[in-house]
Amino acid sequence: MSAPLLRVAGLRKDFGSRRLLDIEHLDIEAGGAYVLTGANGSGKTTLMRILAGLEPAQVRAFEFGGAPVALAPYPEALRRAIVYVHQQPYVFHTSLRHNIEYGLRCRSVPAAERARRVAAAIAWAGLGGRVATPPAKMSGGEKQRAALARARALQPELLLLDEPTASLDRDGRAQTLALLAQLRDERRSVLVACHDQEVITLEGFRRLHLEDGRIAPQSG
Amino acid sequence: MDLLEPTRQAFALLLAGDPRLLGAIWLSLWVSAAAIAIVSPPSIALGFLLAKKRFPGQRSLVVLVQALLSFPTVVIGLLIYLLLSRRGPLGALELLFTPTAIMIGYMLIAFPILVVFTISAVQGADPRIYETARALGAGRVRASLTTLREVRFGVLAAVVNGFGRVVSEVGCAIMVGGNIEGLTRNIPTAIALETTKGEFAQGIALGMVLMAVALGVNVLLAALQGEGGLR
Repeated sequence: MSAPLLRVAGLRKDFGSRRLLDIEHLDIEAGGAYVLTGANGSGKTTLMRILAGLEPAQVRAFEFGGAPVALAPYPEALRRAIVYVHQQPYVFHTSLRHNIEYGLRCRSVPAAERARRVAAAIAWAGLGGRVATPPAKMSGGEKQRAALARARALQPELLLLDEPTASLDRDGRAQTLALLAQLRDERRSVLVACHDQEVITLEGFRRLHLEDGRIAPQSG
Repeated sequence: MDLLEPTRQAFALLLAGDPRLLGAIWLSLWVSAAAIAIVSPPSIALGFLLAKKRFPGQRSLVVLVQALLSFPTVVIGLLIYLLLSRRGPLGALELLFTPTAIMIGYMLIAFPILVVFTISAVQGADPRIYETARALGAGRVRASLTTLREVRFGVLAAVVNGFGRVVSEVGCAIMVGGNIEGLTRNIPTAIALETTKGEFAQGIALGMVLMAVALGVNVLLAALQGEGGLR
């Protein structure tokens, strides 16, 4: 059996005297789609931020792609392999194209390839009719789709999506759910933190449940 | 005092393109613009660091820069005068009573304005900007520049305010520039001189230009901010 894409052992995160996370073991398999559930304040967002290098934590062992990785300081190579999308994503006040192109420029992707990936991402997210719209004028659902397209265009090895359907209207949720299902079908490695029953019960998503700082796989 | 006649004369001077008037206007504009262009990048960078980084003495540094805002410009002029005077440590450079001396003074006057406004703009920025940039793979420098670009209207306000402050400054310019006609006489120093001589028409004409410049840069800023508001 091949090594998991991501393996974490002994992850601890304290806030003052309170231990928020005390995860002994977490594996994410390559090509696997996961939902991370748990009550409000259970540490879902914090865990994702730690994995994305946006928050420090004590970690005994961290492996990515089968190789051990030191998290302090968080390696830039890992930052490019794992992409995190906020619950309410920030879209830069430029253009939709520039937003999607941003991470590609950070990776020095050649211009022709950038243009191809930007066009594909816009089509994937169904935002072809909104190219000329300033991102700040987009609806919450469109911003979420733009952020998903921006992250997907980078072809990351692991996508971390924080409550992607929260605070969206019915149409926005339906469109975002369809994109999540597509990510699963494309065999992208994706971890989605959520409360949304429709996401939790999406076919093919394995469930991880966070409670009292610990993580446990759940059926369904 | 009759204001009508000097005002009529002021318009006549402006329309006739009086060379003394134009010389003072040109000097004011280019010295102010050059000073702001030179001092803006380091001041904005320092403002960003003071807003984002936590380090020992950071708070004291912010208080010090804020205190510089209320520093009298004549005292800045005096300090530069002492540095540049023949017996001063930089006297050998022979910069006293030159446009360069005025420019140095303007840079020192604009510096705290630019730093404090940038701190305010960056501290008010959405923390997701920097995080999003980092999460998308940007290094620290690129993510910082992205943050500055997102708060560009606040930073632009800093630059415009800095320019507005120095273009109308008089105390420092007189001390280190000497108000020499054709060399270091600019709009505010010319107004001060002409008024003491009773030449109100010149003073009013220059005052109108100064107000037009101040109004112009602020209209430009408002237009840009308005455009930003429509994002």
